[in-house]
Amino acid sequence: MLEVLAYTLLGVGLGTFTGLIPGIHVNNLTPLLVGVAAVSGLPPMNIVAAIVAMMMANTIISYIPATFLGAPEPGTELSVLPAHRLLLEGRGYEAIRLTAFGCLGALMLSAALALPLSLVFGPAYAFVQPQMHWLLFVVISAMIALERSRSGILWATTIFLLSGLLGLFTLDTNLVRGDVALMPLLSGLFGVSVLLLSAFSKGSLPKQNVEDSEPLELRGNARALCAGTGAGILTGIIPGIGPSQGTVLAQLVTRSSGTREFLVGVSGVNTAKALFSFVALYAIARPRSGAAVAVDQLIDKVGLSELLFLVGVALVAGGIATVLHLRLGRLAARRIGGLPYREMCLTVISGMAVMTFWYAGLLGLLILATATAIGVLPAVAKVKRTHCMGTIMVPCILYFAGMKDVVLSAIGL
Amino acid sequence: MDEKTMTKLSLLCSLTGLGAIYAAAMQVRPTMTPIASLDNQFVGLKVAVSGQVVDSYEHPDGHLFLKLRDDSGSVVSVPVFARVRAELGEPIEFLDIVQVTGEVKLYRGELEVIPEGAGDLRVVHTAPIKLSNLSQEKVDIPVKVQATIVEREIVGSGSMILTLQEDSSQLSVFVPAWIVENGLPELHVGNVVRVDGWLRIYNEELELKLGAPSHLRVVEAA
Repeated sequence: MLEVLAYTLLGVGLGTFTGLIPGIHVNNLTPLLVGVAAVSGLPPMNIVAAIVAMMMANTIISYIPATFLGAPEPGTELSVLPAHRLLLEGRGYEAIRLTAFGCLGALMLSAALALPLSLVFGPAYAFVQPQMHWLLFVVISAMIALERSRSGILWATTIFLLSGLLGLFTLDTNLVRGDVALMPLLSGLFGVSVLLLSAFSKGSLPKQNVEDSEPLELRGNARALCAGTGAGILTGIIPGIGPSQGTVLAQLVTRSSGTREFLVGVSGVNTAKALFSFVALYAIARPRSGAAVAVDQLIDKVGLSELLFLVGVALVAGGIATVLHLRLGRLAARRIGGLPYREMCLTVISGMAVMTFWYAGLLGLLILATATAIGVLPAVAKVKRTHCMGTIMVPCILYFAGMKDVVLSAIGL
Repeated sequence: MDEKTMTKLSLLCSLTGLGAIYAAAMQVRPTMTPIASLDNQFVGLKVAVSGQVVDSYEHPDGHLFLKLRDDSGSVVSVPVFARVRAELGEPIEFLDIVQVTGEVKLYRGELEVIPEGAGDLRVVHTAPIKLSNLSQEKVDIPVKVQATIVEREIVGSGSMILTLQEDSSQLSVFVPAWIVENGLPELHVGNVVRVDGWLRIYNEELELKLGAPSHLRVVEAA
């Protein structure tokens, strides 16, 4: 028991590291841990505890760079702009508190629902899977229609298709290895483009207020929390729908548009999705995240006792990570005001470029540059950045519709 | 820079980048890879391999696990998941030649090429060899035969010896007891069966040894 706790703490430490450093993701470290398990003869469940804890801590802590630097990890892309709005008003720490509330609330709620829902998901998934491409199509249509104005819809469609083509060329060909292809894509669409715009639009940040924030009320945020958790659970089970689409779903359900509700909702989506990517191993016997793939390799069959273990570790790790999130977030809010913001943004951009070159070579840089150019479009055309998720959704829809090979061979690939 | 210029510039960069990536992707289309050259560096890449099915295992959930061997003599695993198998609609048999395109993955230390859909698989069926063409030269190589059962005998601790006949040639098939007890179809004298296995010499006679229940199927009942 103590050993498991120790490995959970190790996982929280690693997750804090990957969460704080833009461009480094859990998926960069999990193969290492699986390798350690294979050669060291350590009990696999200890390594599983470390991986689950790392995933949960990474999900929560990654809101710190997403808020203060605008360099999101995959999944946090949609919440960047609302968090930036608060940051520019000097309330970056409030964004941290709201995401902490959303993460912890959603973690507790989805942990409570893990067992009952996994009994329903198996049969439900078998029913939904053949219709998956239609489901994704409806989500996208709703996303684009939400732009309302004619030019907005036109731009949204253009951005969706451009990023979709980029995803298809990058993810379904041999340009770069499948497991590293996502990095330049998502870094460009949601990281470098946002950072470039912030680096060139303002000098420094206002002083951040960390003291007199009002207490968060459960009642006022309950709707956003429940909708976020629900959408997160759904996206954790269904492949191809990322947390961003989940958040749009949650917004549609609650009809919420406020910045605060939005942050609670989106962090809820992300955390519930992270937990349910593991629960999916029990419910539908399929891994739904890189970390879940690793867990699947370490455990022969995820039964009821393994499910309880996974959920337990996630709860412990999530609790500790939330406390760390608040502490580190407060520290960042205190220090960020006096720092040269533009230089920091440029440093992070350079870091992402170096990481991309290291993992994916020159072609990776070409993908990063193209993704960045597409990622700038939503900001200048004043539409939502979510449409860039076409990069994952277009290949997914084609796959589920059984059309991917037809389309790829039609365009000569 | 005003917003209009920036929009135009971003669009131009996006389209140029997409064009360049498309051109690069055209250059790296997968061509046939010899199985012997597959190693851990291929993990995550899409490859096309072609080889003969030298072993297969059918999972109770409907998945089919194949081992393909090509001219290089090396073997690679190809899991055909139940969904892909249903899409494919045609059986894949022992010694069929299968061309498969898919991503290389490492599963429990072993390299696998995983087809995503039926379009990633191309199967060329091979005909069974005539019993009269079997000779001692074919010992220790896999063969597929189709013939009529003319004798059926239980020996030792539950193993079975079948005598197959085609025209005037005969061949013994040894079915180990564990296969007899685990899912072997009911067999009668007069059944026409298709059997896959490895030829061996037993008591100075050619004999085919069955490796799994799925390697024998009744083509025509008596």
